[in-house]
Parts: sequence; C-alpha cells; structure tokens
Amino acid sequence: MMSGIYKHLKSAYKRARGLQKPGKSLEIYPDDIFLVSFPKSGNTWTRFLIANLRFPNEQATFDNINRLLPDTTATPKRVFESMPRPRIIKSHECFDPRYPRVINVVRDPRDVVVSQYKYHQKIRKIEVDSPIEKFVTRFLNGETCPHGSWGQNVATWLYTSEGSPRYLQLRYEDLIADTPRELEKVAKFLNLPTSPELLAQAVERSSADEMRKMEKQQDHGLYRNSRKDMTFVRAAGSGGWHKDLPMEQAARIESAWGGLMHHLGYELETIKPQEAPEYAAFGTATNIPR
Amino acid sequence: MIKRLIAGYKKFRRLDKPGRFLKVFPDDVFIVSYPKSGNTWTRFLIANLVYPEKHPDFSNINWLVPDPEGLSRRDLARLPRPRYLKSHAYFDHRYPKVIHIVRDPRDVVLSEYYFDIKREAIPEDFPKDKFVSRFVSGELNHPYGTWGENTATWYYARGNTSRLLLVTYESLQSDGPHQMARIAGFLGIHTTPEKIAYAIEQSSADRMRELEKKQGHLWSSTKRTRQDKPFVRAAKAGGWKKELSAASIEEIETKWGRIMQELGYELVSGNGGTGDSPVQAGTSEQYAGTR
Repeated sequence: MMSGIYKHLKSAYKRARGLQKPGKSLEIYPDDIFLVSFPKSGNTWTRFLIANLRFPNEQATFDNINRLLPDTTATPKRVFESMPRPRIIKSHECFDPRYPRVINVVRDPRDVVVSQYKYHQKIRKIEVDSPIEKFVTRFLNGETCPHGSWGQNVATWLYTSEGSPRYLQLRYEDLIADTPRELEKVAKFLNLPTSPELLAQAVERSSADEMRKMEKQQDHGLYRNSRKDMTFVRAAGSGGWHKDLPMEQAARIESAWGGLMHHLGYELETIKPQEAPEYAAFGTATNIPR
Repeated sequence: MIKRLIAGYKKFRRLDKPGRFLKVFPDDVFIVSYPKSGNTWTRFLIANLVYPEKHPDFSNINWLVPDPEGLSRRDLARLPRPRYLKSHAYFDHRYPKVIHIVRDPRDVVLSEYYFDIKREAIPEDFPKDKFVSRFVSGELNHPYGTWGENTATWYYARGNTSRLLLVTYESLQSDGPHQMARIAGFLGIHTTPEKIAYAIEQSSADRMRELEKKQGHLWSSTKRTRQDKPFVRAAKAGGWKKELSAASIEEIETKWGRIMQELGYELVSGNGGTGDSPVQAGTSEQYAGTR
C-alpha cells in the first residue's frame, strides 16, 4: 500500500512538472509529422538525417536527438509542448489515424531480424550464443518488441495509407543507395527549404562513420547498461542477412510475408512470388464466409 | 488544477476508463468492428450464448460484454474470466483473440447517418450526399479512422490467422445459426443448436426494439439522444440500394472498392476495385490531427 501511494505521488509529481513520457496519450497537433517504422529499420539514422536537415545550425547527436526529433516514449511531455512547430516525432506504433502526416521507413525483414537479434544481444535481452532460429520464431510471432510483428506493423501502414498525399514511404535500402535523393523527397514532403549544400551537410553529419564516432564519445542514456563490445551503429548496410541468416530461416520469413516483401520490391530467394502468400499477405479470401 | 486532482484521485482509485490503455489478459476475447456495423447486436448474440442465465438486456450488456472506454479500470479488472470485450479500435496487436465484425460500408454510412440524427450531431434535413462525402474523406466525430482504414488494419494485419475470426454482418443476418456455430467454435464454447437458436431469438431485432423501448432512456449509448428515433433501426442489409444516390455509391466504391470486393461486397458503380491500393486513406484536412 505504502509503495503504491509513493508510486502514485511520484507519478503525480512528474505529471505536474510535465516530466512524464506521453506515449500514446500525446496530444497531437494538426501540423505534426510522424516518422514511423518497425524497430531496427533505420529509424535512428533517418531521425538524424531529418533532424540535421530541419535544424542545420545544430548538429544532431545522441545527446540532443530526443529534443530535436522527440520520441513519444523517451521525451518528456513538456519538451513536446515547448518545441518549435511543426514538430517531427518518432514512433514505432502501428497505424494510428490521428497522425496527420507520416513518413514510414521500411526495411527488408531478413535484415531487420538480424539487426534486432544483434541489438538484443547488445542490450542483454538475450545471450550472445542464443540460437537465431529461436529468435526468428519469436520475430515471426511478434514477440521481440511491443509493436506487433514486422508484417502486422508494415501492413497496417501500407494498406491504409499507401498513395495518400499525407504519407511518404521510404525504403531503408534506397536511403543507403542514394541518400541525398531520398532525403530530398523528405524535404519536399515536409516543405523544408533545401539546397544541394544543405542536403550534403545533413548526409555528412549523419554518416555511419560520424554516428559511430558520436556513439563512442557520448554517454547517452539510451544504451547505458548495454554491452560496450557491441555497437548500436552496426553494419549500416543492406543485404547483410546473406551472411548472418541461414537460408532456412530466410525461407520462414519469406513464406510468412513474401507477398508483402515482393510488393515492397524485396527479392524473394527461397520461393517464387506467385507461391508467396498474396500481396494481401494474410487476408486471403478463404477466411471470408459467403 | 482541481481537474488534475480529480483525475489523479480517479487514477489512484482506478476509476478511470482505460480505453486503448486497457491491460489485456491472455485469455481476453475482443469483438471489434467499425461503429454502426452490428456491434451491439453481436454483443447481445454473444452475451445470450455465453450468459443466457443473466438475461442480457440494455441494463446489463455494458457489464456482460463491456467496452474498455465505458467501464473503469477497477471494474474491468474484476470481471469474470475470460472477458468478452467490445471495441471499435483500429488494429491493436495486443488483442489475443478477435472476432472482427465487418459490414458493407454503404450500409454503415446510412446507419451512422440516422444515428447522428438521433444523437443530434446533424440536423434531420442534413443532405445524405454531403454526409457520405464526409464519411469517405474521414470527417468523423469519433477517433477510429475511416471505414477503410479501420477495416484494413484488422483484415490485412491479422487476416487469416487462427486468432482472428472474420464475420460479416450480412452473413449473421442471412445465415445466423451457422455463423453462431463458427463463433462458438472459435471461442471454444460447447453449445447446441437449441442454445444457438435461443441466443438468436433473444437478440432478434423485434426483441431488441422492445427492450430499447423499455430501457433506451437508461442505456449509456442512447440515454442522451432523441427518444423519438430508434437505435435499433432497420436491422437489415442492403438499405443503401434504395437510399443512397448513384454518386454516393460511386464515391464509396472508388475509395474502398478493392477491399470491399475482397470482403465479398459486390460493386455496382463500375468504378471501384481498381488502383494499386486496396484502401485510399482519408484526405480531409479536418480529419488530419484534429482529434
């Protein structure tokens, strides 16, 4: 009982000072822009790119990123209320109809699973020798993070928003291949003033080398208790799964989400596209009572 | 300040209504649907199947099959398990077992139109065509997204898995006993054709109209609304064929034709079901972020 009262008083104090993280109860403004993605899909990199484009006078770092481009689960409420508008906000949530404008970064789930597997080792959620097969099973079931499975998360956005003028879809792979070109799309979508110099500066300030350097120097709370022998900014490439993911495991992912992957332009290697579950991925007609 | 203290007290006593912040239990069952898609009817059907001894009516349905937006956290935590909950929410990956009720959007918009007149959200002479345009573009007075968005999140993200059962309103109308058997099977409830027939009869439109007459002024969803207009209205499928203009039908089918076809709804305007995207998102500026 006492500890219950203490907890309540503490959270009441936090609420009174605006220190609590708003999460899903964030008050959304009509000019807000949301940067969404499934975890480990290049969200942090894109966040740095956009922050560096939006605030060219202040280089984005691991220390200030939660203020420049806040996260609903990591940034205090009062920062949200006092920051310049339009706000650009990071989130991993599935589709939310309240989000006025959305940039969604998607990434090949075969790379995502490897990235998440290594990340969970780094933050000590799993042992370093934990078998990847086990991780893939949990990944397919949506048990590796609180945002649904990759297929669910991506599907809720794709099927509701693709083609909408209020929605910009980016692929992590395209961002890697031609960063300035993709970033220019973002600038256009956000109506940000841009020039080749500004774009180049943002790209330079968010490069993998630069981010690795900052990760080493900055004692940011994000990964404080994590393994220091493994890095957050890892390969920063695409297609790395060929090295780390056994083919049988790739096959499991393809047979679950092949339709969705094919639609997004990710080449299937263990099945033909026509053998994959429909583009509609999960909603095949067999479930419909006539 | 006072407001804050009251909210703090309510939170402390767990009297606040959790809505999307509901603590989900692994054996929870959710009946999800877009508003005006037969959710109340399905609530009655399931309540009459699971708790026939409680004689479900408008006075106890909020307790038998409650809405996380309608009951307090404390009451929700004390419900007998497994809980049967109703919700209009768009996709929530935490919901363990979902019965997804889908209804033809051309009928949904009509039902919403008459309900909005009943609750005086629009005047009685509000033009239907204009109402359809607002419905399609997402100018809504609830936070659940457009019909296409809400339906697509469940249908495409969960779809054909053993944890979601899709039931159309139309099939419940035309093929009740069979659909109820599907629902009972999905819920793992032992039942008999007699029990199913009883649940259907206890939830018939006539009986619900009668109950509404007696209890409508007390029930949460109808008490502060016009009592001269019924909540249980036509309770039929296909009313749109007579009541919607050709332009309105075309507007809906252009927007959501593909997912409508996938759900088995026949298109009539010859102008839908094309395009890359099964659903076109809401475009209304007002819709964007006003809630």
